Amino acid sequence: MSRLEGRKNEQLRTTHIKYEGLDRVDGSARFGFGETESLASVSGPIEVRPNSESPSQATLEVHIRPLAAIAGTDSKALSATLKSILIPALLLSQHPRTLVQIVGQALCGSESGAGYGSAGRGWHASLVASLINACSAALVNASSVPMKGVVCAVAIGRLRDPSSSLSSPTLVLDPSEAELSRLVGGGCFAFMFSSTLSKPLQSDADVPSSSLLWTNYTAMGGAFGDAEFEEARQLAENGATLVWQSFKDSLQNGQVSRPATELKKKALDEEPVDDEKMEI
Amino acid sequence: MTSVLPGEVVHAQHVNLKLGPGLLQEASVDKENVIISTRAGDLKHTANNRQWWVESNSWRYIPAPQESVVGTVIARSGEGYRVDIGSAHMASLDGLAFEGATKRNRPNLKVGSLVYARVSLAHKDMEPELECFDAQTHKAEGFGELKGGFVVRCSLKMSRLLLDPNYFLLPFLGSKFPLDAAIGVNGRVWLNSQDPRHVIAAARCIEKLDPAGENVGEEGLKHFLATLDI
Repeated sequence: MSRLEGRKNEQLRTTHIKYEGLDRVDGSARFGFGETESLASVSGPIEVRPNSESPSQATLEVHIRPLAAIAGTDSKALSATLKSILIPALLLSQHPRTLVQIVGQALCGSESGAGYGSAGRGWHASLVASLINACSAALVNASSVPMKGVVCAVAIGRLRDPSSSLSSPTLVLDPSEAELSRLVGGGCFAFMFSSTLSKPLQSDADVPSSSLLWTNYTAMGGAFGDAEFEEARQLAENGATLVWQSFKDSLQNGQVSRPATELKKKALDEEPVDDEKMEI
Repeated sequence: MTSVLPGEVVHAQHVNLKLGPGLLQEASVDKENVIISTRAGDLKHTANNRQWWVESNSWRYIPAPQESVVGTVIARSGEGYRVDIGSAHMASLDGLAFEGATKRNRPNLKVGSLVYARVSLAHKDMEPELECFDAQTHKAEGFGELKGGFVVRCSLKMSRLLLDPNYFLLPFLGSKFPLDAAIGVNGRVWLNSQDPRHVIAAARCIEKLDPAGENVGEEGLKHFLATLDI
C-alpha cells in the first residue's frame, strides 16, 4: 500500500530543529516533522511558590497550549502526560525547592477531530511527538537543568487495506496530516536515550541505549496483539533514533533541517541540509 | 572538539580522575559505573586527561562558592540584606560582611542598590550567602557597593569570556574611552563611564558579541563600533 508523497513505510518527513532564543526564558526550541511543528520554552531552576515546593527535588510544571483557543481538558491531560515522560530524564534532586517550568505550544492543529487515542481532538500522534521533541530540545538548549537522558518521540500510523479485512495492518512511521483520514489507529511512542540504561550495545554504538517511556498506541475497530505492538515499537524506536541523531547534529549548527534518511548509518562527513523554514 | 548530548557516555580514564561541571558518575542498571554528561555542550579535558568537563552556555545562574557576582539588593532582613543574583533563591548578605564593618559602623545599602560580592556559601539545600570582601585578605578588593553605572544582562559564557584576560573586548574599549566594569559570573555586567554614550556603546558591544545572541565576532564588532558616534 503506497503512502502519499511517495514515502516509504519507515521514512520520516524532514525533521527540523531551531533554537529560537526567546526572551525572558532560559531555553527554547522549535521542532517539526515536516509541517507538524511545536514550540517549547523552559525556565529553571527558578523560584517556586511555597505551596508547590518540594524539599528534596525541583518541581516540574508543564503547560501546554493548543494552536487556537485556550487550553482545555485535553491540553491539561497532555501536560500531565508530558510531566511523567520528562521526569525520568531530569536530575531534579540537584535543585531542591525550585521550579522548572516548561511551556509547550502547538504550531499546527485542526479542530476537525483528526487524532486518535487518549490525547483528544486536534492532538494527533505526530503533533504530540513533535511537542515532546520540542520540550526535550528546549531542555537541551537551556543547559541549566541537569539531564541524564534525552527523550525522543515519533508517531506510528496503522493502515489497513480496505479490500482485504483479513490482512494484518501496515504500520507506517510519522503519518502526515493528509494521511490521518486513512489511518485505523496508531499512536505516539516516547523513548529515553541514556547511557544509564542497560542494554547490549547495538552495532550503532554512537547512540545510547533507549527505553520506551510512554505510548498511546490504539487500534480502531479491532484488537492488536503482541506481535503487532512489538513491530510498532521497533519501528518507532528506529524513528526515534533518527530524531536523536538530528538532535546531535543540531548542536553543531544551532539549527538543523534534516531530510528523511534511510535507516542506515550516516557517513561521518555528510553535511546536514539547511532549508528555509515556514514562518508562523 | 566533541559535542555531547545529555546522557551520552564519556570515556574518561585516569588514576586520579576529576569530573567538572556537566559530568556525573552514575550507576547504570547492570551495576556498572558509567560517566555521563548531564548537559549539551563541548566535551573538554586537560592535557594530561585528568580533569574533564562539559562547556555549555546558559542564561540561568547556579551559585557556586568563591564566584564573584553582581547582585541587586531587594530587601533588608534584620541585620543583613536579601540580594537578587539571578539564581532560583535570593542570596543573603550580612550587614557585617564588608571591610572594616563593625556593629556601630555599617554600610547603609538602600533597596535597589547594586553590590559586587563573592558567593561564600552555595549549597543546593540552603539559600546562597554573599560576602563583600576577599576570602584570604578580608579586604574589599573591589567588592562592595557599586555606585552609579548601568547593568547589562548577558549569557553565562559571555561573562566568562569577559573575565578571560586574553579576551579582546575590554582592553579594546578601554583604548577608546575610560570605562569602569564589574563582571559577575551570573550573567550581569556593571558598566560606568563619564559619558552615557560610552556606557551605551559598551553595553551594545557586549550584546553583539554574546555567543547566545548575535555573535558577530571580533571583526564584526570593530565594524559595528565604527558606525557608532563615540
